[in-house]
Amino acid sequence: MALLPPKEGWFQKKVAKDEKIWMALAFVVSVFLFFWMIIWHVYAKQNPSFVTYRTTPEEFYQLTQAFIEKYKVGEENGIPVVKPPPGSDVFLLARQFRWEPVLVLKKGEEYRFHISSLDVLHGFSLQPVNMNFMVYPKYDYVLTFRPTSAGEFYIVCNEFCGIGHHMMIGKIIVEE
Amino acid sequence: MAVATHGGEHFFRTCDVTGFKVDTRAEKIAKVNAVMAVVSFLIAVIAALLLVLTRWQMIHLLPVDWYYRVLTLHGLDALVFWIIFFELAALVFASTAFLNTRMSSPFVGWVGTVLAIVGFLLVNYMILTGNADVLMTSYAPLKAHPGFYLGMILFAVGALLIVSTFFANLMIWRRENPGQSLPLFVYGLMAAAIIAVITIVSGAIIYIPTFLWSLGIIKDIDPAVYKLVWWGLGHPSQQINVSAHVAVWYLLAFLTVGGQSINEKISRFAFILYIVAINVASAHHLLVDPAVSPVWKVWNTSYVMYLAVFASMIHAFAVPSAIEVAQRKRGYTKGLFEWLKRAPWGNPAFSGLMLSMIIFGFIGGITGVVNGMEQTNIIAHNTLSVPGHFKGAVVGGTTLAFMSVTYYLIPLLFRKKIAFYGLAKYVPWIFGIGVAILAVSFYILGAFGIPRRHWDITFSGGPFTFTYNPVTDFFWALFAIGGVLAVIGALLWIIQVVVSVFFGQPFRGPQDLQIPIAEPVEMDEEHKGFAAPGTFVLVLIFIVAFVIFVALNYGWLSVMWEVR
Amino acid sequence: MSEEKKVPFLQLVFDDFILLLFLGVAVYAVSYLIWGLIEIAWTPPIPEEIKQALLGR
Repeated sequence: MALLPPKEGWFQKKVAKDEKIWMALAFVVSVFLFFWMIIWHVYAKQNPSFVTYRTTPEEFYQLTQAFIEKYKVGEENGIPVVKPPPGSDVFLLARQFRWEPVLVLKKGEEYRFHISSLDVLHGFSLQPVNMNFMVYPKYDYVLTFRPTSAGEFYIVCNEFCGIGHHMMIGKIIVEE
Repeated sequence: MAVATHGGEHFFRTCDVTGFKVDTRAEKIAKVNAVMAVVSFLIAVIAALLLVLTRWQMIHLLPVDWYYRVLTLHGLDALVFWIIFFELAALVFASTAFLNTRMSSPFVGWVGTVLAIVGFLLVNYMILTGNADVLMTSYAPLKAHPGFYLGMILFAVGALLIVSTFFANLMIWRRENPGQSLPLFVYGLMAAAIIAVITIVSGAIIYIPTFLWSLGIIKDIDPAVYKLVWWGLGHPSQQINVSAHVAVWYLLAFLTVGGQSINEKISRFAFILYIVAINVASAHHLLVDPAVSPVWKVWNTSYVMYLAVFASMIHAFAVPSAIEVAQRKRGYTKGLFEWLKRAPWGNPAFSGLMLSMIIFGFIGGITGVVNGMEQTNIIAHNTLSVPGHFKGAVVGGTTLAFMSVTYYLIPLLFRKKIAFYGLAKYVPWIFGIGVAILAVSFYILGAFGIPRRHWDITFSGGPFTFTYNPVTDFFWALFAIGGVLAVIGALLWIIQVVVSVFFGQPFRGPQDLQIPIAEPVEMDEEHKGFAAPGTFVLVLIFIVAFVIFVALNYGWLSVMWEVR
Repeated sequence: MSEEKKVPFLQLVFDDFILLLFLGVAVYAVSYLIWGLIEIAWTPPIPEEIKQALLGR
């Protein structure tokens, strides 16, 4: 019983049949879930990446500015709009309280996103497809995206970053 | 039965209901910690109401700065202070009264209690004065006032001192009772105490340098190191709960229907799996983060191949089967479920126990695994699905279990009659149903991508705007209903506890017992065939729901953009 | 069933809370904390070719 020491011989008591069957089943499901994550890495198309680089806010800012200059096609609400070629390295900078630049991508093509922050932690939440990643200062998270749908997408910041957190929203345009 | 002989008999009183010898010095420490737990819970509940009415943008009650301030307050008071104070009370009380032994060092116990209370006051003061608008996680380089970190450190040190008296009490008991095994309830608390050590030490490791950084003594805190170590505090602190509330489940099964684990070895084995494997699940919070690799993520997020989930599923059979076997012994043997139908549903501790198990398993548990799998975390991370999960686990599971067992603690620990006892049988239902609605609507809102910890999802003032699927309006209304119900349930419970403890009639003996304590049922030495067929059917339903939910989420993930 | 009073070894492990405390801390420290800190420490810098392609140096 729960409040007194167990009876002598508790360690030798045989396990009931139903408990035994249940434990076997529960164990199989548990181990399966573990291997499922590995199988998904091998065969499926949505996995967190293996690549992170160390950087500094200064370096990352410089790279993003160079990236913007190189591929800039316009401006929207004071934020540069950039159209990088398919397959290229894309730099996305998070800072209190904006994302830059606005990206124009092509559906079905791969882009190597580099995402980092100038100040505190931010959250990269792509809507309405609902994919979420963390953004750190000093770390360049490399995620290779292939947009599989076209239209206008928004990057909502979903890690608390200060008083203006709710104003932090960016944009990605995917063309057919 | 061995009796504590050292330290003087005059410290003890003998409980007239249970016959246990209670060290009155330990009892006082336990009482103070329990009161602090209820105080923290009250603050958390009031904050919760303000938050519900803010996030439901029909009302949008709080201004932006107060929203994040109250959110910080709610997070720390609910997820740290309420549950840890309650657990400290349980550790001190259980390791003395239930072992018929004495408190190893009342002095250390008091020093720990005072430190914890000072830490609690300092943290709450810092938050309310606007010096720590950093949310519960306080991710560096977001910076709070040094007093905030100092308060957390003081609380951690105080808690660690009390946990160390728990282990010292166990040592005394072992010396006086050589060769004996701990009672299962205390064993579960022992598991919780071990997890608490890991939690508190991680907290100290990260808060001390952060404190120095906030003072300007250390130049820099690495954001990845901070987040890694902080979650060694943030997640295991909730695993203390799991272990402690499972222990409370076994206790309640015993008190309400006289049930006992049908196999102590299996139940203990599951607690050992918790001790060994559950802590590494701090990785749940770093699955979509830079720096750590997917190899590390998969290994740690799975609690080393899901050993802790396996353990929880063992308990999911062991606790209901304890109830079922006891009920069948009483003669409720018809069909698969007569034992359940004829259970003491009017006893608030029993209905609370059942609701706690159901909400923890079906809402907290299943969503926890899905949120915590490496890939499905992509569609759950930092959305409302995350609080949806832990509302099910910590509020529906832990808090409800603690609320239920409190109906026994009022007469047995505080020696008071329960005020408004007639109300008690409704409280678990109001609270439990409220939390269930709240958690499910949270989870669904999260599935639509709505972020947690966000003051305004219309993005007013931002360069762009985005409108979430209008279907979410319905779930926001549901969310508000669930939230308000849960708050009402919690407030009713708090009123009962406060009135009983501070203004209640004294409890003079067994004749004053309002809440029934069941006669223990003798267990069979051997099992013939199935011991608990009804429970077996229930857990099969659970596993089917579990597998379907995992499959649905992976199916949904597969239609997202490709990412690697 | 058992004539001798000898306590099974595994039961001793089950009952030894200090050993369990050690096991719990060790698994956590090695698997989560130390391994994680090593991976963070080993994060490489951004490769030169990526920087050169943009900065043209």
